[in-house]
Amino acid sequence: MKRQIQLGLLFSRSGSYSLISEACRSGALAAIARINGDPAHDVSFVPVERDPSGNIDAYGPLCEEILRDSGARHVVGCITSWSRKEVIPTVEKFGGTLWYAVPYEGFEASDHVVYTHACPNQHLLPLLDWVMPAHGRRAYLTGSNYIWGWEMNRLARERILAAGGEVTGERYLPIGSRDVGRMIEELRFARPDFILNSMIGPSSYEFMTAYRGLGHEDAAFRPENCPVLSCNLTECELPALGQAAEGLVAAGPYFRGGTGWPGAGNFGSSHEAAAFSAVMELARLLAGREGAEHLPLSQLLAGGRGGIVDPETHHTVLPVIIARVEGGAFTSLKRWEAVAGDPYLTRSKQTTKAPVLRVVS
Amino acid sequence: MKRRPIRIPNLGGAQAIILHRPHPTVQALTRQLTAIGLQVTQAWPELGPEALAADYIFFDADMSHDGMFPWEPGQPPIPMIALIGSEAPGRIEWSLKAGSHAQLLKPVGDNGAYSALLIARDAFDAQKALSAEIADLRRRLDERQTVVRAVALLAARGKSEAEAYAQLRQMAMAWRISFEDAAARIVAAQGGMDDRSERG
Repeated sequence: MKRQIQLGLLFSRSGSYSLISEACRSGALAAIARINGDPAHDVSFVPVERDPSGNIDAYGPLCEEILRDSGARHVVGCITSWSRKEVIPTVEKFGGTLWYAVPYEGFEASDHVVYTHACPNQHLLPLLDWVMPAHGRRAYLTGSNYIWGWEMNRLARERILAAGGEVTGERYLPIGSRDVGRMIEELRFARPDFILNSMIGPSSYEFMTAYRGLGHEDAAFRPENCPVLSCNLTECELPALGQAAEGLVAAGPYFRGGTGWPGAGNFGSSHEAAAFSAVMELARLLAGREGAEHLPLSQLLAGGRGGIVDPETHHTVLPVIIARVEGGAFTSLKRWEAVAGDPYLTRSKQTTKAPVLRVVS
Repeated sequence: MKRRPIRIPNLGGAQAIILHRPHPTVQALTRQLTAIGLQVTQAWPELGPEALAADYIFFDADMSHDGMFPWEPGQPPIPMIALIGSEAPGRIEWSLKAGSHAQLLKPVGDNGAYSALLIARDAFDAQKALSAEIADLRRRLDERQTVVRAVALLAARGKSEAEAYAQLRQMAMAWRISFEDAAARIVAAQGGMDDRSERG
């Protein structure tokens, strides 16, 4: 007889970043189906879903609804860092746990959050270490107007300047804005060696399309000469980008068809994979431990006999892959097997100048 | 004045001491600091000499007093963060006098330590830089009289005041010392005793 355990899902099924939400949600649902269908597993998850519809102010109240009105203590969800920060006081108040399966900007280690996707030492820093020797050290930085873009660009600027490089421009757009004309005009003059794109949703799609147009006008802006880099674009958004994605270089723990993480399974994107691995790890922590579903995260982990979650930082060890979009799919350029999440950049050895790395193609 | 950019300190392996009696607040703060990457020890009822080698001190603003710190009251050699429970004006006043650079309200929960570390480090660095600048300016003010005397001595040899001033500047550059130090040298060499030096 399986233990029925309620599990919160907090994903926006509409709004500007719904493609990412859907990818995470399907990863979580796939893991739930796997656990529920496994007769050897004594846990069965019952999803308790709430949909904030991309409205930032709905996350806190809907998370509270899950934790207050159902038996769920664990919630898988949130896409933007903004929404995660809205939800943390709520999970803290109810002694719950948020499983967050999206790349983020680091500098956080909540006692009530597990971070199963990458932080900067697992995406941005290796990506910069790759791009500067390969393409040059003159960067143009873009982002959506909230903490993800701001903090990614702050860190990128710090690392680029430390490596002797230069930031030729830095521009932000409000989430949802398609007003990319000014960035394109600035790029014509700035002529950087690469562009770091930390915009999300329609802003990013519009920018990539306009930038492809710029590459048609002037070969200096073709991907082989001045690539666009991203730490948040995965396969789940390729349909929205179409041809405009060609040549994009991204960093992430998984790209479609990859092996090794998170175990056996063929995932559509790292978003799906990270949400899947979150639910699988929760199931492993709960297995055979009657009542463990009511424990606060620290106690759940303390009795969990190892596992993927670092008990100090609540981050995970992930592969780091740098990959380029070629013919509508990501092709791996470089790969590190196991890099521990280091949210405050205090644990791993930090390179201040770009190491000599070669493009592997 | 343009604000200088904040320096993000390297916190990996940095030493923090929490001066507080055993309490859930110490546990919560230790968890946060450990997650950030610091080495944490707890001390009560006073800081030992090892505090002089620490990088950050978190101290209980409710129960602490001057005698707990191994340094002159109000002269901490490292950044200090007040853990404030009771927001009584007397306690706030004392923690400012003790030299706190940032604060964290009790009960300490899931967050707050990282920003307190950065703000305390920044305030500490700013205070140190300002103190050094003020000391230097004060010394140069004190030397005004010496400069006047040196210029007068040089001018006494048939130069205009402007020429004597320019010559003094050139000497300072040639000797690679400050303008005021060069003036003191001239006065000492040519003018006999600088009566100011007797005033200490």
